[in-house]
Amino acid sequence: MNIVKSIILLASGAALSACVSAEGLEGGGPLALGGIGPDKTVDRGINAHHLSTLVAGIWVSPDGCDHWIIDDGVEGYLSPRLTPDGRPVCSGVAPPAVATGPFKEGTPIPDTL
Amino acid sequence: MKRIFNWVLNTATGGLTMSVLGLALIAGQAQAQDTRVIQGERYVPTIWIDPDGCEHWVMDDGAEGFMDARRTRDGAAVCHRSEICGVMNTDQLFATDRYAISHPGRAALENFFRSANAYGFLIYGHTDSRASDEYNIRLSNNRANAVAQVAQSIGARVVDVRGFGERSPRATNGTAEGMQQNRRVEIYCLR
Repeated sequence: MNIVKSIILLASGAALSACVSAEGLEGGGPLALGGIGPDKTVDRGINAHHLSTLVAGIWVSPDGCDHWIIDDGVEGYLSPRLTPDGRPVCSGVAPPAVATGPFKEGTPIPDTL
Repeated sequence: MKRIFNWVLNTATGGLTMSVLGLALIAGQAQAQDTRVIQGERYVPTIWIDPDGCEHWVMDDGAEGFMDARRTRDGAAVCHRSEICGVMNTDQLFATDRYAISHPGRAALENFFRSANAYGFLIYGHTDSRASDEYNIRLSNNRANAVAQVAQSIGARVVDVRGFGERSPRATNGTAEGMQQNRRVEIYCLR
């Protein structure tokens, strides 16, 4: 790791802890009061939205099978793409270990790392 | 009550089972065997529906996000039927017990695959419940493969092909109409 990368990581670490310690920033809720409570169904703070509105792309695993990938600002999500009877979908839409599609488009927050 | 009790017995070690039995012997405390205290925190999820129409559990815990596919207990994905983009009644494609596609059937399928505007297709064959399970698995497999060959012949991408025989009926096999609905090839479009 070079020194520039270290600085970026330190700065983003500071930004991330700001997100989890202050209300109103991306992802943040009333954390000073001891967490956001049992309702985990919404993304709070900047670009607040209900989680049913997430925008996904496809990430292909090293095994060649599809997963839905979502970059929602501070939070990231990954979940398998399944056939109706529950087996993995391995569609060949992209090479292994590649993410494709609009998975960063659900958030205005830039992905700096 | 019964369900909780069974779960306690299934998950308990031998030692815990012993203590449950011990408690049950004390008059007035028989209910104790039906409950136990769990150290936990409520995490209430919501549902996200993927572009295929299948459900996923999703939670945002402030800075962390969690997601997993929702399944029924037999492992199947929980999906919405609107994701099926084509259901072909096999009576119009095949003669009874055969898996060679008729000429008008082939033309209709080619037209379907050309106009579906999909990246790829999942193709699943199903039968009614007459004949043996094994025979129906084989027949539905052959029919699904025959449909897949039509797709491939016009350059469409087939991602998955399978025959489920009589195991996933869509309607009752107790009536002629129900059996006709069960004789089908389902085509799912991946976009």
